[in-house]
Amino acid sequence: MSPLLRVTIGLALLMAVAESPLVLFAQTPSESELAAKIDQRIEEVLAAQSVTVSVPADDYEFLRRASLDLTGRIPTVREVHQFVADQRADKRAILINELLERPRHAMHLARVWRDWLVPELATIPEARYFQQGFEAWLAAKFRDRIGYDRIVQELLSVPLPGTKEQAEYVFRQADRPNALAFFAVKDAAPDKLAATSTRAFLSIQLECAQCHNHPFAEWRQEQFWNQAAFFSGIERQGDGLFAPLTEDPLRRSVSPGEGKPLVSPAYLFGRGEQLDPKDATRAAFAQWLTARDNPYFARSAVNRVWAMLFGVGLVHPIDDFHDQNPASHPEIFEELSQSFAAANYDFDFLFRVLCQTKAYQRTSVWTATEVPDHRLYARMATKGLSADQAWDSLSLAVGWTTTTKDRDADASDRLTGRRRFLEQFTPRSWPADPETSISQALSLMNGGLLSRVTHIDQSRTLIAATETPGWTDDERLTALYLASLGRPPQQLELEKLRQYLSRSSDHAGRYEDIFWMLLNSSEFRLNH
Amino acid sequence: MSANITASRRHWLQVLTASSLGLSASGWLPQLASAAAGDPTRKRSCILLWMNGGPSQTDTFDPKPEHKNGGPFRAISTATPGLFLGEHLSKLATHSEKLAVIRSMETREGDHGRATFHLRTGNLPQGAIQFPVLGSLVANERQESHDLPGFISVTPPRLFAPESISAGFLGPRFAPLMVGREAPADYRVDAGGGVLKVQDLERARGIDSLRSQDRLELLTELTQDFTKTHPGLGTAGHRTAYEQARRLMQPEAASAFDLDQEPAALRDRYGRHRFGQGCLLARRLIERKVPFVEVTLGGWDTHDDNFKKVADLCNVLDPAWSTLLDDLSTRGLLDDTLVVCMGEFGRTPGINPRQGRDHYPHAWSVVLSGGGIRGGSIAGRTGSDGMIVEDRPTSVPDLLATILLALGLDPRKQNMSNVNRPIRLADPDAKPLSEILA
Repeated sequence: MSPLLRVTIGLALLMAVAESPLVLFAQTPSESELAAKIDQRIEEVLAAQSVTVSVPADDYEFLRRASLDLTGRIPTVREVHQFVADQRADKRAILINELLERPRHAMHLARVWRDWLVPELATIPEARYFQQGFEAWLAAKFRDRIGYDRIVQELLSVPLPGTKEQAEYVFRQADRPNALAFFAVKDAAPDKLAATSTRAFLSIQLECAQCHNHPFAEWRQEQFWNQAAFFSGIERQGDGLFAPLTEDPLRRSVSPGEGKPLVSPAYLFGRGEQLDPKDATRAAFAQWLTARDNPYFARSAVNRVWAMLFGVGLVHPIDDFHDQNPASHPEIFEELSQSFAAANYDFDFLFRVLCQTKAYQRTSVWTATEVPDHRLYARMATKGLSADQAWDSLSLAVGWTTTTKDRDADASDRLTGRRRFLEQFTPRSWPADPETSISQALSLMNGGLLSRVTHIDQSRTLIAATETPGWTDDERLTALYLASLGRPPQQLELEKLRQYLSRSSDHAGRYEDIFWMLLNSSEFRLNH
Repeated sequence: MSANITASRRHWLQVLTASSLGLSASGWLPQLASAAAGDPTRKRSCILLWMNGGPSQTDTFDPKPEHKNGGPFRAISTATPGLFLGEHLSKLATHSEKLAVIRSMETREGDHGRATFHLRTGNLPQGAIQFPVLGSLVANERQESHDLPGFISVTPPRLFAPESISAGFLGPRFAPLMVGREAPADYRVDAGGGVLKVQDLERARGIDSLRSQDRLELLTELTQDFTKTHPGLGTAGHRTAYEQARRLMQPEAASAFDLDQEPAALRDRYGRHRFGQGCLLARRLIERKVPFVEVTLGGWDTHDDNFKKVADLCNVLDPAWSTLLDDLSTRGLLDDTLVVCMGEFGRTPGINPRQGRDHYPHAWSVVLSGGGIRGGSIAGRTGSDGMIVEDRPTSVPDLLATILLALGLDPRKQNMSNVNRPIRLADPDAKPLSEILA
């Protein structure tokens, strides 16, 4: 069978599935039914491979994980106390809903999508000027509960201000919400915009087909340029990221290179729709991309959210769907994707379903000698923290608060500290690889930031823990553990720490050491 | 035959063991060098002199004194027939028997960012694939347990794309350890030598060695349980990084960065500027078996006032590089060390109205020197005006494969990438320049 025929049949099958949800699922299952189905399927696979599952996470572990995953930072000491004391049977479901309601949730989701869509914003110095406005734009959409399909449509068809004669700079106020970063940072280049769109929203990597036919998936070079042609009217008037962007709606084809014939827009797949010459190309592309019968659109998003929570996608790598990269649990994948679309592409629906699964609520502790493949979900994976998660958690743990004092010199110091920290700790992928470099270790061990915040005069947490009158050493140690690790110390840990305290007369210094140890520990640096 | 190899290998291993027992550096280095020469699996270390901005080949390694494109510089002859160098490389000219000059680089990218990525990783940006840079690839191939990391970048380049100094899919373990601040974009602010330091290598103020020791022991003891109950990349990577950082802080390892241990006269010969001292540091690191060190000299983006700038830059590069070759040779390390000098592209043979030269990827030069190559050789040729390559066009993969072979590494070796596809060290279509390999 020819490759082309194969992909055509494959797509036809995918479409058939996508178009007939009623046949497969008599009715849309409720969130808890869906969670139960997911668990059932995961457990079937585990049983078939004779792998035992780990026990449920305790409240401390669950609260820290859910807080990091849904709001991007560790819980406060008060939140830990309240959650553990809560006696309600459904308190975990209640917590999930509460976390999803917080403004921090929308901001966290915005930052995650920022890294998926325009990772350059965190890594290229000039591009950072766009970061705040782009995050704010995304966060506002998430906060207003705009469906993911609509967000993508708005992003891709955002009007470009100005004309060639009267060009308008890309932004005047860096912090005003705007989506233009997407176009500016991709150099207003049709090929980059097309490649990013298909990868981010469909998990299809067409880029390799930019220069030659794709070696694994069956995409042809011409198809790559067909997609680029949807963006062909966009032009940058001048040099650099900040130069004005304009669009010529009459230009509807793109050149793949000097001397090669122009290529017109054509949908990557579908039922043979032709582009109406009157339609704006970007809007048409966005409509096709987000259409209910585009089987890749919902799946791509579901897979990303799954990876956010479980550290690995149902399809992995998360942005590379093709024949030879199958899902670990195809039935789950299919049903979740359809339910997500039926729920109007509401991410919070996915979070509510997935966070209430037993799989998500398992402990990450593993004591058996053989470590099972983490795509079996026998235990919770240990995930890395993004630079934002690490910074926000560190700030919270040491007791920095956002008050009016933020305007003083200390705060501007802190902003510089934040910038440097984000530069050093920004991972090259999301979900973040849980890896540590020597430079990162040196910076946390000896660097100015950590030595400042573990100085007795500089950290509110340390001051509170050591100077609250009437506390015993155990109570002081517990306060430090709750603030940093979100759990109290265990007996054995307390014994070791008491010994450590007793070996020196410099009590305050010893507490500094212990706080330093907690902030340098892998337990603090990882989401587990 | 095979018995001989076995014997020499055993001897080689013995020498290695002796070195790890901490015999003094001066005693074992020459011995190790001679032992390694007989080893069939021998690997070489690499020093990359990264010429940030794209140096002008016409004024350095491919002079055209008879053509108007040649500009005002004279060409000086060397002991190698046919090899002339720009007049400001007079010291290097006396080392021509240690150089292999590639005059036929023909690449595609004239944009700093993309070209830098291309030359440093061997690939053009390709969607989601996070290509590692050459230094990270070599560090990954040479995972020998030492106190120093496998890839060290001295005065790291101020790069147009941060991906061009990343370990990519190999992960942060193979990311470069940075020494010194970024190389200044303008060499003129570089006077005085600068300070070459690893950031945060010294203990924080107010923390003495005893207390630092206490803290690290506390960290090890109290995180043991978490590490044990959370097996995997996260805890293992964390432990490794802290262990490496701790070793790097030890006086023996940290002393590698202490250039005051070198004779003042030698430091003078390298040149008392950041790049010269960086080359000296590179030698100290290579001596301590770091497999890949890069030292950056920025300022080659000479769109205007090219001749003044190139002369000044050559006055930095020439003494540093030639002293480095001398120094390596004196210590018996030359044959074990490949010294590569390259930038992201060349510059236009034509001179613009501002007495400058612009970006030019179509015909430019790269120089390999030291070990693993056939010294006194020239690969490729450009036409009389320098505009086109007339013989043996050399692509980026060709160059990278040549470098890898000179280092004793197999360019066809595969690594699993972040997109789940195996990727070779160098593109499989690469045609290495075997004529200049030893």
